[in-house]
Amino acid sequence: MGCQNPLFPRVVVVEEIRRETPDVKTFRVVAPDGGELFDYKPGQCAMLSLFPVGEALFSITSSPTRRGFLEFSIKETGMVTRALHEIEAGTKLGLRGPYGNSFPTELLKGKDLLFIGGGIALAPLRSLINYCLDNRDDYGRVDIIYGARSSKDLVQKVELFENWPRVRDTHVHLTVDVKSDDWDGNVGFVPAFLEQLNPSPEGKVTITCGPPIMIKFVLESLARMGYQPENIITTLEMKMKCGVGKCGRCNIGDKYVCKDGPVFSLAELQQMPNEF
Amino acid sequence: MMGQSEKLQKIAAEALEQGQVTMVLGWCKKDFWWQAPVAFITDPASAARLVWDPFTVYNPVKYLLDNHHCHEKIGVFVKGCDSRAVNRLLQDRRLEREKVVLFGVPCDGKTDAAKIKAAFPGRKISAVSRVDEKLLVDTDSGTETLPAAGYLLDKCQTCRHPNPVVYDVLAWEKVEPRPGVDDARFVRVAAVEQKELEERYAYWLRQFDRCLRCFACRNVCAACNCRTCIFDQAEPRWIGKASDLADTLNYQIIRAFHVAGRCFECGECERVCPADIPLQELNRKLIKDINEYFGEYEAGLDPNDKPPLGTYRGEDPAGFDES
Amino acid sequence: MKKIAKTKLVELWRQLASETGLYLPIASDGVVNFARWQEGAEVDLEALNTLLPAKKFFFPQTETVLKYSFSDDLVLEDCAGKAGEALCLFGARPCEVASFSMLDRVFLGEPVDEAYRRRRELTTVIALGCNDPDETCFCGSFDIDPGKAPGADVLATDTGDELVLVAQSAKGEELLSLLNGVLEEATSGDENKVKDAQEKAKAKLPPAPPAGGLMEKLDGMFEDSYWDLLYQRCIACGTCTYICPTCHCFDIQEYPTGSRGERIRCWDSCMYADFTQMAGGHNPRPTQKERVRQRFMHKLNYFPRQHGEYACVGCGRCVRKCPVNLDILEVIKDLGGAV
Repeated sequence: MGCQNPLFPRVVVVEEIRRETPDVKTFRVVAPDGGELFDYKPGQCAMLSLFPVGEALFSITSSPTRRGFLEFSIKETGMVTRALHEIEAGTKLGLRGPYGNSFPTELLKGKDLLFIGGGIALAPLRSLINYCLDNRDDYGRVDIIYGARSSKDLVQKVELFENWPRVRDTHVHLTVDVKSDDWDGNVGFVPAFLEQLNPSPEGKVTITCGPPIMIKFVLESLARMGYQPENIITTLEMKMKCGVGKCGRCNIGDKYVCKDGPVFSLAELQQMPNEF
Repeated sequence: MMGQSEKLQKIAAEALEQGQVTMVLGWCKKDFWWQAPVAFITDPASAARLVWDPFTVYNPVKYLLDNHHCHEKIGVFVKGCDSRAVNRLLQDRRLEREKVVLFGVPCDGKTDAAKIKAAFPGRKISAVSRVDEKLLVDTDSGTETLPAAGYLLDKCQTCRHPNPVVYDVLAWEKVEPRPGVDDARFVRVAAVEQKELEERYAYWLRQFDRCLRCFACRNVCAACNCRTCIFDQAEPRWIGKASDLADTLNYQIIRAFHVAGRCFECGECERVCPADIPLQELNRKLIKDINEYFGEYEAGLDPNDKPPLGTYRGEDPAGFDES
Repeated sequence: MKKIAKTKLVELWRQLASETGLYLPIASDGVVNFARWQEGAEVDLEALNTLLPAKKFFFPQTETVLKYSFSDDLVLEDCAGKAGEALCLFGARPCEVASFSMLDRVFLGEPVDEAYRRRRELTTVIALGCNDPDETCFCGSFDIDPGKAPGADVLATDTGDELVLVAQSAKGEELLSLLNGVLEEATSGDENKVKDAQEKAKAKLPPAPPAGGLMEKLDGMFEDSYWDLLYQRCIACGTCTYICPTCHCFDIQEYPTGSRGERIRCWDSCMYADFTQMAGGHNPRPTQKERVRQRFMHKLNYFPRQHGEYACVGCGRCVRKCPVNLDILEVIKDLGGAV
C-alpha cells in the first residue's frame, strides 16, 4: 500500500438501484471488469464519489459472504445523497475503502444475537445479519427488532418479510411509529417495543444501530433489562472527509470514528467523552 | 484620587451588586502588557479584574449577540466606537436597548503595541501605562516616556467620536476629539486613490493574496451581524474553500460592500486581521464615496436615522447609466 | 561545518536558487512569509516566525488530490504522485522544524499520504537557530531548544557577522557540497561561537510554563467548567488554526468546470461550526465551547494519547495573532502542568 494516495478512489459501476422507501435507495456496485472490489468485514464503511458532486462515507450493507459486489443503502439527506438518488444504473462512481473496524464476528460466535435497528440504520446491521445467517451454525438464536416511521419507510422488505423469518431460529419483530391502513403489526417506538418484547440478556449480545435519539432510549432500556455494557454493541456516525484518520473531524476524544470505529461497545463508549 | 481602572471596577461591581445587570463586559489584562481582552464579569468580586489602560481597544459590543438571550440585562463598557456598534445592532434590529446598560467611557485614543515595540528594538517591555498625553514604558533598561499621540492606533488618530454617542452613565468627563482628525480621516484612502489603476489593482491583489480566509474581520464586526452569513452556507456555496484569489476577492468585496453605509469606523477588522490587510482603506473609501454621492453620513450615530444606501431619494445619483 | 559572511548571503541565495527552488522568509508590504527567492527579494532573517507556518510546504493550504473528466467515460487522474518540487526551505526556526515530526506522525502514519511524503522528501530544510526569542515564545515548555533543530538537514546559526552552517543529515551534506564555491570552512572558534549563541538564546527564553503532566490532567477535564468560561471571548475565526504549525485538519472539496474537474484538499478549522455539521442536521459540537475545547484537548490530550507528544511547539503565533488573546499558552498556564 505504502506509496499510494489514500484519498484516490477506484472506478466502480452501479449495477442495480433498488428503491427501498420514498427516500432510501440501495445501490449495488461492481468492478467495471468484474472480480472482487476488496475484502471487508461487516460494519465497515466505504467512501463513494459521485463526480462532480462530491464524496461521502456510507456503511456497506451487503455481507462479505455474498461475493462480487457491494451494496449501500442511502437515504437522501444532503447534497451527495440527493445527487446519488438521481443517477441511473450504469453510472460510474468512485470507491475507496474499506474503512473502520468491524463488528466482532468472532466474539459473537456461539452467542444469541439481538439486533435492534431503526430507519436507515438497518444498513450496517444488515451486513452482519446476513453474515451470521450465512454462517448460521456459528451463532445461536437471532432476534431482529426493527422499526421505522411508517410501514413504507421499512427498508429491505424482501429480507424482513420473506428471507430472514424463514431461516432457522431467526425471529423478526417489526414496529412502526405511525399507524397506517396497510399495517397490522406493532405500532410504537423501538425502545418501547423492545421493553414489551423483553428479551432476556442471558447468553445474548445486542447490536443496535439507529438515530441518536433511538439509541439513547434503547441503551437506557437495555440497562434496565440487565444487559451488560460489554454485551451492547453500536455504531457511531460523524461527519467524515478522509476516512483514514487524518482530516481531524470525526474524533471523539482520542478515537477517530472513521478508523477506530464506527463499531463500539457501550463499555467503550462509557470510557469516551460524551460528544456524539 | 480613584484611578480610571478603579472607576470602571466600581461601576461594574455596583451594577452587579444592585442586580441592575447580571453580566458586565469590560476589559482585563492577560499575560502580556499589550493584551487587554474583553472580560465577562458576572460577580461583583470579579469586577476587580477590570482595567482601563492604553490597550483596551477590543470592541465588546458584538458579544452581546451571543449573550443577551441568557441575561435579563447586560452592562457594557463602551468607548465612542463601541457605542456606535450598539447603535448598529439597534438599527439592524439585533438588540433591544432595554437589554443593555451602557457604561460610557470617554476615550482619548488607544496605543498601537507594534509602534511601541518598534520604538525599542531589542529591549524587553514589561508594562505600558498612560498619564494624560504621556506613555510610560517600563523596559528592561528603565522606564521611558513617549508622547501618546505619536503611538496611537491608526483608527484612533482619525477618531471623530471619542465620547460614547449613546450611554446610560459616563465613567468620567468627556474628552475633546484630537485636533486634525478630519484632515487625517481619508489620508490613506487618498494615497490608494492616487495610484494608477494597474498599480492600484496590483496593490489590492498583493494585499488580498495574504488573506487566510479566517473570517476574523467578519466575525469581529458588529455590522456583520447576519444570522447566517452567506459565506457560511454549504448550499449553495458562494465561495470555494480553497485558497483561491478570485474567491478571496469575492469574499472581501462582498464583505466591504455589505458594510458600506453601515461601517461605523471602529477599525476592529483591520486590527484583528492576522495578515495585516489594510481593510479600513476599503471601508473608508466606501464612506468617502457615500459622502460624495449622497451627502455626509456617519453610521452608528443615531439608530433612527435614514442610512443613504437604505433610503431612496429622487435626486440620488444613478452612476451606472452614464458609463 | 561551513560559514558565510552575512554580507555575502545574496551570493548564497543566488547559488542555491540555481540548484533548487529556494524559499525564505521574505517581507512584502511589511508581512513576512516564506516565499520563493528572486533577485531583489526582501529577505528577513531577523523575523522570528513567518505569518504562515512552513507546514504549507508539505501540506499546502490547497492542493489537488485528483482530476476527473466524465464526458464519455469517468476517468480519474491521481495527482499525489506528481506532488511537490525539489526545494530548499531556508530559515525555518527550531520550533517550526519540531512541528514537522508531528505532521509526520499524522501523514506518514498508515496509510501513508503520498503527496505529503513526496513533498517532505523533496524538501531540504535549513533551520535557523534563534538568537533572540520573543516574549511570546514558549518552546521551552516542550523541550525545544531555540538554538538547535535536530530535525533539520542543516542548522544555521547567526554568530554576529556570519552564518555558520552545520549539516545534520546526508541530504544536508549534499546541499552544502553544492555550495562549496560560496562557503568557507568554519573553524573551532566558529564552533564555540555557535555554542555561545545557542546558550545565550536559551538563557533569553522567557520562563516557560511546564507542560509535563498536562495530558494526564486533561484526561478528567472534558466536562470541567473551565471550558464554560474559556471559550466566551472566542470569535470563532480560523486564525489560530491556520497559523498553527501543528494544526493539520483538512477538508476535501470539488472544483468542477464543465465535464471535468478537480478534487482539492484544503486547510480546515475546528473553530468553524460546519467542521462537524452533518448533512442530517446533527452537530456533535454545537457551540463554540465544544469547538474551543476540541482544539486544546486535541493539542494537549488527544494527540499525545495517540502519538506520544504534545501537538504544540510553543512558537507563539497564536499568542501574537489571536484577535481576542485566547491562546494555548493561557491554557497551559491555567492548568499548570505539574511535573
